[in-house]
Amino acid sequence: MELTDADLIARVLVDDDQHAFGELVRRHQSSVRGLLRQLTRTDLELADDLGQETFLRAYKNIRSFRGEAKFSTWLYRIAYNCFRENARRRKELVGVDEERLQAEVDPQTVDPGLRHDLMHALSLLPLPERTAVLLCCQNGLSHDEAARVLDIPLGTVKTNVLRGREKLKRTLAAWGPN
Amino acid sequence: MDELNLEDQLDRQLREAARYIDDDGFTTRVLRQLPPRRRPRQSLRATILLGTTTAASVLAYVLSDGGRFVSVHFERLATLPTLWLFALALGSGMLVTAGGLVAAISKSREFQS
Repeated sequence: MELTDADLIARVLVDDDQHAFGELVRRHQSSVRGLLRQLTRTDLELADDLGQETFLRAYKNIRSFRGEAKFSTWLYRIAYNCFRENARRRKELVGVDEERLQAEVDPQTVDPGLRHDLMHALSLLPLPERTAVLLCCQNGLSHDEAARVLDIPLGTVKTNVLRGREKLKRTLAAWGPN
Repeated sequence: MDELNLEDQLDRQLREAARYIDDDGFTTRVLRQLPPRRRPRQSLRATILLGTTTAASVLAYVLSDGGRFVSVHFERLATLPTLWLFALALGSGMLVTAGGLVAAISKSREFQS
């Protein structure tokens, strides 16, 4: 039987079980790295560095995880804070790496043209809207959960999701019919 | 209604576009950077165990009128038949051996994990 996140967290807390923490990393690395790749506008190297920093912070502060939210939501919050601190340090974010983005395309799941358009359109959104759309529309967080991750009012999240969606639709429509 | 469908479609496309990212050594790199495991504080545990055992022994000695019960029981043991004494020694020996085995097995499992 597969252990739940809560079981693994308990093992880390009680026995400092690093194998259990490794399993948590394996389970959540894809969604955390995916979020960071979009936030950093597909700078894979920076996103993975921030991903590692996210999990290291999670390990060091796992005692502060009270289980009120899902573990993934807690990780997103740490990831977003890592990204914000890094962005503040760097002052400006890097641009979209088109070649790397193209290499990431999995043609079996989504029409490559649409995928490229979508991701490109997403990367063009302003950061607050992009983050809200990523968390709520792509990662399936509720508005309330996203508000906790981003540490902003619920109304602001709703507005950002709405605006982000509208802009995405407008951009995709302007680029041609799907 | 169409607006809602369009939003659902956009969300679905966004979810599909979020491809699973292969681990590709990421977890190993994270685990390599973790701080060393916290070791259980063996010395503290040993001190507590030794302290409570000593305190309990002293208390038992004082409460039993200077350990008089020891000499009383030795006198009683001396009056037991030889076969009884042999059985008592064998039983005690087996009990201690079993305790030692259980401790050794649990320790070896701890090392293996």
